[in-house]
Parts: sequence; C-alpha cells; structure tokens
Amino acid sequence: MPSATLLGQALVSGLLAGGLYGLLALGLSLSWGLLRLVNLAHFALALLGAYLTYQLGHALHWPPWLAAAAIVPAFFALGIALHMVFARFRVTEFTSLLVTFGLAVILESVIQWFWTADYRRYETPYASASLRIGPLFVPVLELLACLTAAALACATWAWLRFTYVGKALRAAAEDPAIAGAFGVNHRRHAFVLSGVSAAYAGVAGVFIALISTLAPAQIWAWLGVVFAVVIIGGLGNPVGALLAGFLIGVSESVTMAVAAPAWAPLVSFSILIGILVLRPERV
Amino acid sequence: MSERRRLVAGVLAAGLGLAGLPLLGLPAFYESFLYLVFHWIALATSWSLLSGYAGYFSFGHGAFFGAGVYTTTTLAAAYGVPFLATLPVAAAVAALLSAGIGVVVFRVKRLRGELFGLLTLAITFVLATIVLNTRLDGGPGVFLSNVPMPRLVASPTGTFYLLALGLATVTVAGACLVTRARLGLGLFAIHDDEDVAEVEGVPTLAYKLVAFALSAAVAGVAGGIHAMYVSYVTVGDTFSITVPLYVVLMSVLGGARHWLGPAVGATLITASLYAFTGGEQALLGRALVALILVAVILVLPQGVVPTVLERVRRARPRPLEAGATPAPALPRVEGAALECHDVWKAFGGIEALRGVSLTVGRGEIVGLVGPNGSGKTTLINVISGHYAIDRGRVTLGATVLSKRPAHRIASLGVSRTYQIPRPFAHFSALDNVALAATFGAARSTPREARDDARGWLEFTGLARRAAALPHELNLHERKFLELARALAGRPRVILLDEVLSGLNPGEIASAISLLHEIRARGVAILFVEHVMRAVLELSDRVVVLNEGEVIATGTPHEAMRAPRVVEVYLGKAHVVA
Amino acid sequence: MLEVRHLAIAYGDAPAVWDASLEVAEGEVVSVIGPNGAGKSTLVNTIAGLQQARSGVLRFAGVDLRAVPPHLVCRYGIAVVPEGRRLFTRMSVEENLEVGCYRDEARRARVATLDRVYRLFPILRERRRQLAGSLSGGQQQMVAIGRALMARPRLLLLDEPSLGLAPAVVDAMFDIIRAIHAEGVAILLVEQNVVRALEIADRAYVLEEGRIVAAGPPEVLRRESRIQEAYLGLKEA
Repeated sequence: MPSATLLGQALVSGLLAGGLYGLLALGLSLSWGLLRLVNLAHFALALLGAYLTYQLGHALHWPPWLAAAAIVPAFFALGIALHMVFARFRVTEFTSLLVTFGLAVILESVIQWFWTADYRRYETPYASASLRIGPLFVPVLELLACLTAAALACATWAWLRFTYVGKALRAAAEDPAIAGAFGVNHRRHAFVLSGVSAAYAGVAGVFIALISTLAPAQIWAWLGVVFAVVIIGGLGNPVGALLAGFLIGVSESVTMAVAAPAWAPLVSFSILIGILVLRPERV
Repeated sequence: MSERRRLVAGVLAAGLGLAGLPLLGLPAFYESFLYLVFHWIALATSWSLLSGYAGYFSFGHGAFFGAGVYTTTTLAAAYGVPFLATLPVAAAVAALLSAGIGVVVFRVKRLRGELFGLLTLAITFVLATIVLNTRLDGGPGVFLSNVPMPRLVASPTGTFYLLALGLATVTVAGACLVTRARLGLGLFAIHDDEDVAEVEGVPTLAYKLVAFALSAAVAGVAGGIHAMYVSYVTVGDTFSITVPLYVVLMSVLGGARHWLGPAVGATLITASLYAFTGGEQALLGRALVALILVAVILVLPQGVVPTVLERVRRARPRPLEAGATPAPALPRVEGAALECHDVWKAFGGIEALRGVSLTVGRGEIVGLVGPNGSGKTTLINVISGHYAIDRGRVTLGATVLSKRPAHRIASLGVSRTYQIPRPFAHFSALDNVALAATFGAARSTPREARDDARGWLEFTGLARRAAALPHELNLHERKFLELARALAGRPRVILLDEVLSGLNPGEIASAISLLHEIRARGVAILFVEHVMRAVLELSDRVVVLNEGEVIATGTPHEAMRAPRVVEVYLGKAHVVA
Repeated sequence: MLEVRHLAIAYGDAPAVWDASLEVAEGEVVSVIGPNGAGKSTLVNTIAGLQQARSGVLRFAGVDLRAVPPHLVCRYGIAVVPEGRRLFTRMSVEENLEVGCYRDEARRARVATLDRVYRLFPILRERRRQLAGSLSGGQQQMVAIGRALMARPRLLLLDEPSLGLAPAVVDAMFDIIRAIHAEGVAILLVEQNVVRALEIADRAYVLEEGRIVAAGPPEVLRRESRIQEAYLGLKEA
C-alpha cells in the first residue's frame, strides 16, 4: 500500500491532469451537446495547436502567450470553415463521426509529415518549476493549465447561462424549430459555436505543448478519456466537463499509484463503456 | 436460386484459377502485393457483413483482428501449436468476443449509430491495453520466427498468398450467399428500419449476433495469418487505427451494401497505396486514404459499385414487369379471435392504457376511435409487441401473445401498418412485400415469397409499380404498399393505424372496398381511424377509447350516440336527452 | 390583420390542408375547430412559420409571410403556443420565458412583460427557477403561454391548449385566455374541444379533412349539423 505522501501526490497529479482533460473536453462537449455533431478531429486540432506552439517557440522564439494569440483566432476561423463544410453537405450526427474521423487521420498525417513521428519536447525555462505545498510538488505549468481550464469552463458556463445568445443556443439545441419561431437564428449561432469550440482546442493545444511530450499518435491516446469526460459531465455542460475531468484524472492517477501505470488508460475506457451500456440516455 | 449458385460458383472458380498463380514463379514482390490485396478483401468484406448490411458501423474490427493475431501468436510461439491449427481457434476466440459484446450491446436500443461506433472503438483500446499489460505481449512484442511455416508451395510468400486467397474467396462467396439468403434480407431490413423489421418477423437480435460473429471470425483468421506473415507482432501495430480506418473506407468506397463492393474498394485502395512505398510516402498514402474517405462520404455515400450498377440499370430500358403471369390465387386464412384482457401500459408516470379489454372476432372489422391521446396507437403498439405490456394479457385464439418478442408475434399471425408509412427505403415495392412473406406467418421460400408478393401487389392495385422504390411512390401508393406488406405475412389479424389519413375521397372509397375484400378472406381487422364516415361504413363494431379506458362498444351507431361518447367529443351541451 | 386565402399545405406529397381561407381582425378571438387529423395544427404551424405552404396567400398586416424566413416571422408580431407545449425542458421556467422575448423589440420591455406574465400566472413566479420539464401539464401550459406573451405579440396562436389537461385546469386556462384577449391581443385558437372553443370565440371556422367546411359566429355554428357530422360521423343530430 503506497504511503500517504504518494497518494497525496497522486491526488494532486490527478487533479492537474484532470484539468487538462477538462480543457480538451470543453470544446467537444459544446459542439456535441449544442450542435449534435461528433467531432473526432477535435483532438487532432488540439495536437496541431500544440505542434504549432512548439514550432513558433522553437523556430521563431515566440513566447507561448504570443503563439496563443496567433493560434486561437486562427483556429476560430478554422472552426467556422469546418462548419461551413458540414452545413453545405448536410452532415448528420452519424456522418459527422465518419467525416471527422477521416479529418483526424488527415491532420495526423500532416503533423507527422512536418514534424516526423519522433518525440518532441518544448523546452522552456519554467518547464520544471513547481510549487511546494508541504511534501507535495505542484508543477506550475500544469497548475496554470488547470486554472485556465477552470476559468474557461466557468466563463463558458456563465455565457450559456446568462446571455441571450447562450440561452438561445441551449434552446435551439433542444428544439431548433420552436426556438426559430421566437427569433433564434440557429444557423448563424452554429458557426460561432463551431469556431469557439475549435478555439478552445487551440488553447488546449498550447498547454499540451508546454506540459507533455508530443507525438502524432497522441491523438488517439486521449480519445477514450476525453469522450468519457464529455459523457460523464453531460453533453453541453462546461462545468460538468471540468468536474468529470477531475474525477477521471484522479481515478487514473490513483490507479497508477496503486497498480501499474500502463493500466491507467483502462480506467477511462472502462468508464466510457460502462456509461454507454448502462446509461445511454445521458448521451 | 440458380442466379445465386452461378455467382457463388463464379467466385469459387475465380479463386481456384488464381490459386494457380504461384506456379508461374513470379517474384516475391508480386505475391506479397497480392497477399495484401486478398488480406484486405477478406477484412473489408467481413466488416460489411454487419456494418454495411445492417448499418451498425463498427470501429472495432481491429479488436477482432488483434484477437486473432494474439491467439495465433500465443498458441504457436508459446505453446508450439502448429500454425494452421491455430487459425480455427483464432476464429473461435474472435467470434466469442463479438458474441459477448453483441449480447450486451444489441439489446440496448439507444446504442445504434454513432454510439455503437464509439463503443466498439473504445473496446479496441481496452483490448489493446489488456494485451499490452499481460503476458500475451507485455510490451516488447512477440517473435514468431521460430514457428515452423507449412509449405503449401515452394515459396513462403506463395503460401501466404494462397492462405489469403482462400480466406478471401470463402468470405466473398459467403457474402454473396448471405445477401441472397434470409439472413441477408433480414440484415438489409434492419438497416432500413430495425423496429419495422422486428415487427415483420425478422429475428433482429439473432441475426445481428450471427452477422457480428461471422464478421469477427473472418477477421480473427485474417489476423492469425497476418501474424505469421509479419513474424514480429507488437500491440502498437496490431491495434493501430489502420485496420478500423481501412475497412471502413474500402467498404464505403466500393459500396458497403453490395457483396462485391468491399472487394472492389479493397483492391483499388491497396493498389493505390502500393504506389506509395517507403516511409514518407506511406504517410502521404494514409492521408490520401483518409481524404478519399471524407470525399466519398460527402459526395458518393452509396459507394462505387452500387452507383455503377445504378447507371447501368438506368441506361438499359427497364423490362416490362410480368403482367403476363396472372396473379396467383390468394389463400383464405384461418381466422382467430384477438382478445385483449385488462391491458395496462404506463410510460414514466403516465398511464396510457388503463385496463383495456376488447375482442375482435374471427373475420370481424372493429373500429377503434377516441380523441387525441386516448391510447389508440399505444394499444396497437402493445398488441404488435412494439411495447411490452405492463399488466394484462393479449391472446390470439388459444395462443398468448403478450410478453413475446415482436417478431414472434408477427409469425403467429399479427400484422400492422403505420400511420406514416414506413417502407424499407432501399427495397423495391416487390421486395418490401416479399420480405414480409418470407418472415411472416407464412414462412415461404424466396420463390414462393416473390410470387405471393406479386399477388398481393396485384390485389392492392400496385402491380405496375412492383419495381419502384418507395420514394418514387406517392402517398396513396405507399399506404397501399403498407397494406400489401401487412397482408403478405398471411396474418389472421391486421392492425391498421390511420390508414386512410391523407387520402382524398376517391382513394378512401377504393381503400374501403379493399378492406371489405380482405375481410372476405377471413382476416380480422382492428383499425384506428379519424375519418368518421369511413368508420361507420366499415365497422361491424366500434370501440371508443378515452384517456386509456374503453368508454363504449357496440355497433357504430349505438356507440357514437352513447351519451358518454358525445360528451367526450363535443361537450355536455351536445348531449341530447 | 391576418389573411389566409386558398392555402394548401402538404408533408412531402401528403396533402394536409386544401384550400383553406380565413381571417383574423385586430383584437378578435377566432376559433378553428375540427376533429383529429383535420389539419388544424398544420395550419397553425404554417402561419407561425414552422412549416412552408405549397400555394396560396398568407398575409399579416399587409406583409407576405410566405416570403419571410422562419426565424423572422415573430418580428411582425406573431407568437405561437404550439401543440404539446414544446417547452425547453432542460431550461428553467424563467429562462423559457426569456427566450420568448428574444426578438429585439420585445427584449427592451423584458422586465415589464415578465412582471405582467407573473401577475397572470403567480405560480410561475414561485417556480421561476425550476426546470420546465419537471412541472405538471397545466403549469407547463402556463409557461408556454407566458413564453408567447413575452414576445409581445399582436396575434397569439394557440394550438390545442386544453390537450391532456384536467377539466378544472382547462377552466382556468380559458379564463386566462379571456384576460389576454382583454388586453387587446388577437387570438387564433385551434381546439378539439368544441364547447370551449365556441364559448370564447367571436367567430369560428370548422376544419374537416383539410378543408374549411363551415364558418360564422358561434351561435350559428352550434346549431349546424356539420359539427356533429365532422366529429361523430353521424348524419342526423
């Protein structure tokens, strides 16, 4: 049985990792919950953002915040473009799965073409900085990612909850025709939402570059975790996604501390399967 | 069916012919390439058995492939089992895995479409993790170079080529057989509308399990063979995204619903990919594959083979449907009384049916009426088995119907139509009706079913439209198609749900005379209707429902004049003392 | 104000309404009655912009509604209380009401209109934060009506408001409809319940199998045997 310190550290790592999961899940939860489109390419987009951050930092010596300032708006535009394709071809929830599957593979190939399959690490001077709280280490970058996730989740939640556009989005997700009868132009909103979702993928990408080692196959590694987070947190629920991220992050890290690290992915996939089979109405 | 036998014989002959290839002494490069072609033909064709025909898109073909790979690897490398003997075991393991998944997942209605895809993808990753962390692989991969390779011909590549060729031939021939058998028919029906298929008598759960198991078994064998081919097996390569992606693409490109489609797609893609050899270009190849997938789904959702066949069909003038063969004499049915005893059904907290009892005697026509929300359609859904009954009993003659699966109820002699017609979109009018004949109470052979179908189409006046697809028919024709389909099951009782709504007065008149004729053949009819004039003209008796309870029964004039009924429809003021 | 002439509406190729003509003047209450499946909801949905008509004239205050995109119809002063309520069940009562005043003009008067709605339906004020999906049928109907009122309409379309409600609740519902009418809103009421519909109406139309078969003031229609025929199929009263 591992010591208290080890468990404590596992808890901290889990929470921080969960924050990153939540950040990744945010965009996906929005587009799946409010647009009823499954975007498997979300992860590929995030990884692309990570590699771009790495590249801008490595080759042009741009600090991460500058890279983010460039990436986020670009990805917003990308999200809108993606939705234009969906709208043009009248893509349904199911076909969106197949189309974005293909897009994800294309993006992965593009990434591998430019950056090869070698592992890449974005070295920054503050990469190993961490706070000490008693016997526990809290890496600064991961903490920052976690806090950003929390901030974005709360901001999104507030946007959906309190603004007219947010309410219109939620109403149209449930009954677009009746929402339209009260003046909601769902078509226009859908483009904005798609852009926001992609922009969030960009933000997640910046942090992924700062925190993890990059490899193209990472796209598929997160798939199970993030889908589990989205479904457990409730589709279209930003704060739910964050909390679910924490839950899964902690379960994974505790599993890693108690059993072998390689079993960790099993946790999220098993939870995902469990929910799909036992509580499919959640989706 | 001679056509079926000819096609299968053709496939087998082609396979035999191609088996002579190694004798030509081609360089190993070609034999390798052809090995891959047949390897993918087998994988793609097996995938489409469930996913293409029944529409349950699985992203988990990699799991069964991987199960096969590691079964052969473990048995041959660790336990010294002869390679060829491991292949049937690989098939069995993969099939059992799929059956295990299917038994749990296929019962849950919500898990169709994209959720089924997600689930199967997740299962693949779970399996990969398990294999990675146990002695099956443990991380470094497994070598099979020590396993003795059986020599079917002189060169090893030739042997692999023959093994893959054999598997592909059997799989494609099997697919051809399936598409022309009851299994295939049922799977295609499930694809178009699973609930209606079940109600027409297709045993949907059983068929899905069989298709899944067959599909998995072939993938397992392909995996076993491939393990020997690569001779060094790793989790990363085996469970990568390649297998799931490629089988989907090949089938979608070639046409997932056609038995030859995946084979065509597999050949095209493998040939194109082989043009990109070597590290960087392999990457480009994969991106290209994905790009084609996206383009095909957006632009050519049917696939190459069906599109080509469609063009050919349209170019050739359509042969006139046989008006020459006279419609076969339609049989009289041995009727039975349908009885509902105290039927209760609630949804959530709302009681839709509260102790409904009614009888439809042999050869009787009973009208079921009542205001909106009174439970009429719910009752039909309960009788036909679409909803499970909460309390009470439904019997047909001496047989108890309630609590049986819908497809059993259909085969016991209950047919129904839908208020908004739900024909199988990809089936012609004739095939729609023939399906019901194949799976309904009659249980006919395919030839008998088609003859029956022609007869019923003639009966409902649709003989000229036998080859038309449902979207080419107008509403009146679709409603009568529903009727013909309901009749083809040789039912003893027909449940009609607002069959007259949307028809103009002339069409209503012809429908009414049709219903009289149906009754004349001994079939009992329970019909829900709002067109009151028709109810009065047609019914022997009328049952009035309100808020889930029967409030009046009797002859039409008696029932509709009952004070309670008038009150419910028009309010107290209209009740004439 | 509302002018419908020879309107034909179909679902795909299944005709639902043939040649319907009716009018609603400012401040009037007009009822459309008829049996199930007659096409009443189809007619209302088309006027509200939820569906497209095949042919015919649909004009409101002189504007050709058939040429207006669906999400702009409400701008002209039409609000709908659809059949089956169709609330946003995952949102709260107050949020449902707020979506009702989404259009700019209505938004500016939000606070005042909200107050008005809560005065009409005091129980909704109590339950303003409750999820709309968890309310009883009668309360949901109130939310649906309130949501439409938030749009400050000149014409209110009510589609079967009494459906699935207990008689006592229906009484209350119609009192409220009367109160709304007293504030000057024109009402087009579609109802299966003949008694209520005729009690409240200035004029009424009878729709049967997609066609208007009778029209006139309630007293005249009550005596007509067309209603008996349409609902009960009986030729003699």
